[in-house]
Amino acid sequence: MTEKITINPITRLEGHGKIEIFLDDKGNVDDAYWQVVELRGFERFCLGRPVEELPRIMPNICGVCPTPHNMASVKALDDLYGVEPTPTAKLIRQLHYNAFMVEDHLLHFFILAGPDFVLGPSADPAERNILGVVKKVGLEIGTKVIEARKRCREIIRYIASKPPHPEGGLAGGVSRGITEEDRKWIKETADFCVEFVQFSLELFKQIVLDNKEYLNLVLNDAYKLNTYYMGLVDENNRVNFYEGKCRVVNPKGEEYALFDYHDYVDHIGEWVEPWTYVRLTHLRKIGWNGLNDGEATSLYRVGPLARLNAADSMLTPLAQKEYETMFETLGGKPSHHTLAYHWARLIEAFQAAEHMQRIASDPLLTSKDIRNMNLKLNKVGIGCVEAARGTLIHHYEADSDGKTTKVNLIVATQHNAAPICLSVKKAAMGFIKGPEVKEGLLNMVEIAFRAYDPCLGCATHTLPGRMPLIVNIRDRNGSLIRTVQRP
Amino acid sequence: MAKPKVAICWLGACGGCDEAVVDINEVLLRVADAVDLILWPVALDFKYDSVKDMKDGEIVLSVVNGNVRNSEQEEIAKLLREKSQLVLAFGACACLGGTPGLANLTTKEDIFNWVYRDAPTVVNPKGNYPQTSSRVNGKELTLPEFYDHVYALNDIIDVDYYLPGCPPPPYSVMYAVSAVLENKLPPRGSTLAPQRALCDTCKRNKSKPDRLAIREIKRIHEVEAAPDICFLAQGIICLGPATRDGCGESCIDINIPCRGCFGPVEGVADSGAKFVSALASILDAQSEEDIARIVDQIIDPVGYLYRFSLPVSILRKRRG
Amino acid sequence: MSQYKPKVVCFSCKFGWGYLTDEDALSSKIENWIPIICTGKIDATHMIDAFEEGADGILILGCPEGDCHYQDGNYEAKKRVYLLRRLLESIGIEKERIRIELSIDPEGRRIPQLVKEMSKELAKLGPLKRDAVAEKMPKEVIKARGGK
Repeated sequence: MTEKITINPITRLEGHGKIEIFLDDKGNVDDAYWQVVELRGFERFCLGRPVEELPRIMPNICGVCPTPHNMASVKALDDLYGVEPTPTAKLIRQLHYNAFMVEDHLLHFFILAGPDFVLGPSADPAERNILGVVKKVGLEIGTKVIEARKRCREIIRYIASKPPHPEGGLAGGVSRGITEEDRKWIKETADFCVEFVQFSLELFKQIVLDNKEYLNLVLNDAYKLNTYYMGLVDENNRVNFYEGKCRVVNPKGEEYALFDYHDYVDHIGEWVEPWTYVRLTHLRKIGWNGLNDGEATSLYRVGPLARLNAADSMLTPLAQKEYETMFETLGGKPSHHTLAYHWARLIEAFQAAEHMQRIASDPLLTSKDIRNMNLKLNKVGIGCVEAARGTLIHHYEADSDGKTTKVNLIVATQHNAAPICLSVKKAAMGFIKGPEVKEGLLNMVEIAFRAYDPCLGCATHTLPGRMPLIVNIRDRNGSLIRTVQRP
Repeated sequence: MAKPKVAICWLGACGGCDEAVVDINEVLLRVADAVDLILWPVALDFKYDSVKDMKDGEIVLSVVNGNVRNSEQEEIAKLLREKSQLVLAFGACACLGGTPGLANLTTKEDIFNWVYRDAPTVVNPKGNYPQTSSRVNGKELTLPEFYDHVYALNDIIDVDYYLPGCPPPPYSVMYAVSAVLENKLPPRGSTLAPQRALCDTCKRNKSKPDRLAIREIKRIHEVEAAPDICFLAQGIICLGPATRDGCGESCIDINIPCRGCFGPVEGVADSGAKFVSALASILDAQSEEDIARIVDQIIDPVGYLYRFSLPVSILRKRRG
Repeated sequence: MSQYKPKVVCFSCKFGWGYLTDEDALSSKIENWIPIICTGKIDATHMIDAFEEGADGILILGCPEGDCHYQDGNYEAKKRVYLLRRLLESIGIEKERIRIELSIDPEGRRIPQLVKEMSKELAKLGPLKRDAVAEKMPKEVIKARGGK
């Protein structure tokens, strides 16, 4: 008797996603599907728009990671107009970008993922949220999280206007410069962030790594996936969020490809399935090999863990030390342990914060030379950044009036879409055994995809983070036998 | 005394409006104390059943963000309307349809053909397209139906209040929240934002000459816009005159012109049409050729004028 | 042979058009005629409303350049028409559906003729695609609400 478990809707997934789990006769997991249920068509309705408006329109793709869209868009414009931003403009952009990285990564860690570790995956759902975290570690920390987020977003507002949807961004520059007075509070924010991220890392080590049970969870096979990894690296193969070349390493950690992102079409393919609206990316030269990991896979992952796997080192010294510690603890590079994403995320936040400090002290930051006006319109412009969740590509083409004629976007979570399906399936198989479906198992499945911080959506929550799960168990005729709900 | 039940829910949304709620920072914790937040899909148990089980009107206030573009979103909107005393349309997408409303200039077929067939990275030898129902390995999987049209919230259900913005700024959210909690709401149907146009509070207003007279339209990347002079006076299209005030001019502050996310001013249904008149009145052209020449410099009228509000505009759709 | 008879809405300024003729007599010869005081009063919203109410084309008859009773009302109307035509074009409505003529015709004899000429042009374009202008309640929503 085939039974079907429906987890619908999943939250923390923009526009709703759902999980369908199919059981076999023995009640073990036969198959599982993670489905994305929304589509909006940005690639089409941006056609005909003046191309300089796109950095303002594209952030509307996502209110949680709008900054990467804005930045990839601006870089595509730089490319389209054949122009390099001035050194000061580049510093300002990177300041904007790093502030976002810190804020976004911290938010995810404390409010989305943290509860699982701070309180434990099998803790009472009513406690397993930021309030529970605050209770366990103290209100001061909760306040600091809010403070860090607030301060970073002040930087974003100052450079690009209203944080959930930056509107700034011009080819070859930025629209507003930074004054010496502002340098002071920017530097203070950077220092605050470095300190707080450091503290968060210590917290993570205390609570997770020093706890055998959690460490075993991190190393558990049910959360392991052997895939390729992709991320941007600079000329020394160091992690870089703002620019660089795309580097892909194979499951053994050997470099598989190092390419200019302008050639992305040669390397990335998008596969279409009728049961989900998201296109599933894979390595084009290998070809689609289905939802499989291991030797024959053509799947690759992106995002914090992937970036750290694909690079040889971090950009900044303190982050680098943590990088080394992490891989040592996990038993080497590359690490396939999905839950290590949370650790990698904090290490990246560290790099972003350290980089902010560097920029805040740079004398060029306050120069008035913020626009390179030497624009020459080409036909194609491609921009690529590392969004918090992974590699992001914006590809635009325009006519001689600067009107958009073609748009292709490869969004971070797309690269992870197939791996997320697999992770969900593996977690379901690892934890659901036999006919009884315990409530606790639902969270084990959630933990699998939560690690990726899927951004089709919104990872902001400050309140009881109970996952809204309804599990419907049906017989092969689709009749409802039983419903298990979270209280 | 029982705390009032409040729901926050997203439909066809990007998540920015939920971030906007979190942006009220510490105040949110106080709000969470004062109300019984029974629904917030990004954070809480989202159970259709628990909402379905409620009595009509049991929820005091539903804060709904996002537009409606598929069957599931419509269902949720209607469910919340049934169970709520008040529904607040939160953000540009709920109030006006939002940026994704520009998709009303194209068709579902056009979108699907590009996304699943023609984009350069697509590898689709089997010609798969998402289906509302499909069979994989003998199992049935379903997806909600993607509509051919984007709707604002009040096309689908009756809306009691509107809070505009992309997203509404923190102080705006706080004002709305306290108005509800203290029962100091204006008449139903009101927009919880100032009634006049952006120009009213814009710092650059004073820099406007007595008679604005544009002879050339400039695009923002072509010039180094002066940071303290009215954009329109510089020939740069700014929707300030036709846009409701209340955003704090965060875009103007970073030297970028307004694109109208707060929607039309009080009493105007269609901000784009209004802007046509406003813009026309400041064009300085002597002859017909001159008028034509300047007008032709506006390369994307519908995009400039209706970026956030196409679904509620009088000219809503494009066909053929 | 097509049965389609284009609906033209004609706004004309009383200062320059037909002021010597009895209005009632003239209106029997012109369908959908809106005589007004100064074409400068016609807002872009009025023009769009006309389309929504069923017009296939709009004809605006104002006073000659330099002869506007209110100084530049006719000039403002002209700019509005040009801008609106540009907007309509960008959403797929032919710009030939709005015409403005600035001239003088005290007896208004030319008005029915101008309307007829415009109708002929519009007949070639066909009716304004109804769904290019918003219907009050889109069909999908009617259907979803149970057909009411």
